[in-house]
Amino acid sequence: MLNEEKIKLMTSIAMFEKKEGKRLRPSRCYFKSDYISRHMLMAFCGYTLCCLLSLVLWVLYDLETLLSGVDLDTLLICAVRYLVFYLAGLVIYLLLTALVYWKRYDHASGSMRIYVAKLKRLEKRYEYQTKVKEIH
Amino acid sequence: MMGLLVFKEQLKTFYGEYSFVIDPIGRSILALAVFLLLNGSLGFMEILKNPVVIGVACLLSAFLPLGFLTWVAAAFLLLHLYSLSLELAVVAGILVLTVAILYCGFQPGNTILMVVGPLLFFLKVPYLLPLLVGLSCGLSALVPMCFGVFIYYLAIYARQNAGVLAAAGTIDITQKYMQILNSLFANKMMLLMVAAFAAAAAAVFLIRNLPVDHAWTIAIVVGTAVELAAIFVGQSTMDVSLSIGPLAMGTLLSVVLAFIFQFFVFAVDYSRTEFLQFQDDEYYYYVKAVPKIAVTAPDVKVQRINKRKEL
Repeated sequence: MLNEEKIKLMTSIAMFEKKEGKRLRPSRCYFKSDYISRHMLMAFCGYTLCCLLSLVLWVLYDLETLLSGVDLDTLLICAVRYLVFYLAGLVIYLLLTALVYWKRYDHASGSMRIYVAKLKRLEKRYEYQTKVKEIH
Repeated sequence: MMGLLVFKEQLKTFYGEYSFVIDPIGRSILALAVFLLLNGSLGFMEILKNPVVIGVACLLSAFLPLGFLTWVAAAFLLLHLYSLSLELAVVAGILVLTVAILYCGFQPGNTILMVVGPLLFFLKVPYLLPLLVGLSCGLSALVPMCFGVFIYYLAIYARQNAGVLAAAGTIDITQKYMQILNSLFANKMMLLMVAAFAAAAAAVFLIRNLPVDHAWTIAIVVGTAVELAAIFVGQSTMDVSLSIGPLAMGTLLSVVLAFIFQFFVFAVDYSRTEFLQFQDDEYYYYVKAVPKIAVTAPDVKVQRINKRKEL
C-alpha cells in the first residue's frame, strides 16, 4: 500500500537534489581549503591570460610608436608600470575569487546538512515500516 | 484588478502544465530575434543569413541552456565583424574572451544579459534593462549588463563605419587599431549609458531589498529617477547630445513594462502585513510577514443536460 508521507518525503528529496544537486558538489567532493585554492589557481591562470591579451591590445594600439623606435628606459618604465597594474589587479581578483568560493562552499555545506537531515528522516521512516512489518 | 490576478493565475497554471514546451519555444524565439537582429544590423557575412544556419542555431538554442545562446550570439557577432574587418574582429574577440574568462569563470548564470541588453536597445526600450536587472538579479549582474551596452555600441560603430573599416589598404594597419580602440573606448555616449545604467540598477537593487512597504514600486520610481538624473548630468558634463523625445518615450514604456514585470513576479498585499515576535534559546525574532496576493483561477465547466432541440 502507498505510504503518502514517505512519497512526500521522497518527492521533496528528489526536488532538493534537482534544484541544489549541482551546488552540493563542492561540499561532497572537496575540503574547503582545496576547493578555494583550486579556484584561486584557475583564477590566477585566467587573470594572467587576460592580462596578456590586454598587453596584445596595448601593443596593437601603440604599434606605431613601438615600431618608430622606443629607447630601453621608456620600455622599462612601461614594463614596471604594467607589472604594478598586473599585481594590484591580481590581488584584488584573487581576493574576490576567494570570497565568492568561500561563500559558495558555506552555502553548499548548509544545503548538505538539510539534505542529510531529509535522508535521515526517510531512513527512520523505512526503519519504522520494517518494525511494523516484523510485529505483524 | 481581480481579472488581471485571475489571468495571472491562469497563465501560471498553463505554464506549469506546458513548461516543457513553452521553455524551448521561448528560447528559440529569443534566439531567432537575436540572430535576425545581428544579421539585420551587421549582416556582413552572407552565410550567416542563410535560413538553414539560423534554423539550426535556433534549434540548438531551444534545447540547450540559455547561456549557450550568449556564446552562439557572440560567435555570430565575431564572424560578422571578421567579414567586415579583421582588426575589429581581433579587438572584439579579445574583449569577449576577457569577459568570458574573468566574469563567466564564476559561472554566475546571468550571461544572457549580454544578449538581452543590445536587444532592448534595438527595441527602443533600453531603459528597461537596469530596472529588470535591479529587480531580478544581484549586483554581480552589473558586469554582463554593462558589457551588453558595450556590445550594442560596438555593433553601432561597425555599422556606421563599415566603409572605412572594410577599405583595405587606405589606412595603415597600426592606425586602424588605434582608430578602432579610440572609437570604442572613448565613445562618450557609451560611457554615459554604462554609468547611468549601473547607477540605476544598483539603486533599484538596494531599494527593493529594503524592509519597507512597496519597496519594489519605490525601487522602480527611484531607479528611473537615478537613470534620468545620471543621463542629464552626463549630457551636460560630457557634452553628449541625446534627443528628449525617444528618451521620454523609452523611459515611460520601460517604467510600464517594469510595473508589469513586478505584477507578475512580486504581487503582495501590504494591507494584510503581519508582525510576529518570538524567541528561541539564542535569538529574539522580529518577523514581518507580507502575504502574496493569490486568487484561484475559476474552473468553469459547462455540462449540457439536455441537447438543444432543433426547430
